[in-house]
Amino acid sequence: MTLILIALGIITLIAILMYNSLIGKKNQVENIFASVDTVLKKRFDLIPNLVASVSQYMQHEKSTLEKVTELRAQAMRPNLSDEQKISLDAKLTSALGAITIAMEAYPDLKANENVMHLQRSLNEIEEQISAARRAYNQAVTDLNNAIEMFPTNMIAGWMNLQRRTVFEITVAERQNVDVKALFNR
Amino acid sequence: MKSTSELTDFYYKELYPSLEKLEKTRVEIVSKLQWYGGMGAVVFLLTAIWMGKNIGLFHPLSMAILVGFIAVGGFIYRSMTQDYAKDFKTKVINPLIGAIDPHLLYNPDFMISQYLFERSNLFPHSIDRYSGNDYVKGSIDGVPLEFSDIHAEYQTKDSKGRTQWHTLFRGLFLVAEFNKYFKAKTVILPDQAEKSFGTLIGGWLQSHNFSRDDLIRLDDPAFEKAFVVYGNDPIEAHYILSSSMMKRILEFQKKVSYPLYISFVQNHIHVGIGTKKDLFEAAIFTSLLDYKQAMEYINTLRYTIGIIEELKLNEKLWSKV
Repeated sequence: MTLILIALGIITLIAILMYNSLIGKKNQVENIFASVDTVLKKRFDLIPNLVASVSQYMQHEKSTLEKVTELRAQAMRPNLSDEQKISLDAKLTSALGAITIAMEAYPDLKANENVMHLQRSLNEIEEQISAARRAYNQAVTDLNNAIEMFPTNMIAGWMNLQRRTVFEITVAERQNVDVKALFNR
Repeated sequence: MKSTSELTDFYYKELYPSLEKLEKTRVEIVSKLQWYGGMGAVVFLLTAIWMGKNIGLFHPLSMAILVGFIAVGGFIYRSMTQDYAKDFKTKVINPLIGAIDPHLLYNPDFMISQYLFERSNLFPHSIDRYSGNDYVKGSIDGVPLEFSDIHAEYQTKDSKGRTQWHTLFRGLFLVAEFNKYFKAKTVILPDQAEKSFGTLIGGWLQSHNFSRDDLIRLDDPAFEKAFVVYGNDPIEAHYILSSSMMKRILEFQKKVSYPLYISFVQNHIHVGIGTKKDLFEAAIFTSLLDYKQAMEYINTLRYTIGIIEELKLNEKLWSKV
């Protein structure tokens, strides 16, 4: 009898530990996502300024600039799910990347102190976003692993925890800058 | 910064007159040491025979005499080599550091302050004895840095009340300004647990280390294998340890081949290289003109000062103008 009680006690204890570690991982993901959100908002604040400053110079990139403005409006809508935020962020990053590369072709822009300051701020924010994204992906991977691996998967199923999506590293980020192509333009 | 071959040239050409004089002194010291050593051995042997006959070799008095011999020997050795060791530092190490970069100042008797050592958070233990020497301070490419030899120890008492000293860290310790702003603390240590216990158990042990902040996992498998990272803000840790920074740290680790301890606290990088010995000391029993000996001085200085270039701390980012 006592043996059964001890076994039951141990099983309960292990279950509690697993439950708590899953909750800890889930909260870590949410915590970090909140920080990701904060840096993404910083970038939203910067975009109107940037678009306003460069639009008078960049006549040929009107469509890209409009796309950025539109994506920003979409991303700032309330009640977006995390997945939507993640996919909008990826689109915005690649659109902004296209603008940054296109800016190289306008010497007037590079002479403009205000634009250069904006670009430096944007670069810094991009670096912060990249760090936040990587930290988020790590936290999500930890949680997803726990959800799928034995024995925590049993408790995770009972807790109804769902797998989360990670930020995908965009193609532009994965590729190195092609300096030669920049010079040949 | 000058290359290794330029520095080797400098060592053998510019420093040659000083080296030659020092080498002469060194040879004299060695022959004197051999003579004194021989005499000492004879006297010691005679005393030992006398003691063995009269009071026994394991008598407390015999022990006291043995300790006395060692103390006198040590004293003679030190007094004979003291001036030579000092001369070596002013005539060889000092100009060598100047040749690497004229913005560096050298003080053979000074060391990194204990405050900076403790601020690094690398060795969270009380320190009972803190010493060091060979202090270098200055800037490389506009990046302020300082480093020195450090020996930090703590003491414990065993059951009989005897004091025992333990080394917490011995080796080179460097502090330099970092090119990003950050508020959190990030500590990088050699990965002992995963190496000895494997990923599963080692990883579990690491995440339950109560003397440290939270374990932070990074997205570079090679880096994860070599190091373990603790910090109080995972996002800032990722911000500091960008993919390229992790690669550079790994490259640096391959070059030094001693355990590497790195922390990022208060906008500074702290680097401990656990060489476990006192560096930049004058060689007594090997020639100063010996190539291997020369390379040891040059390489140690070069890779220490080279950290700035190696980790690209001299590349100012947009945020820090």
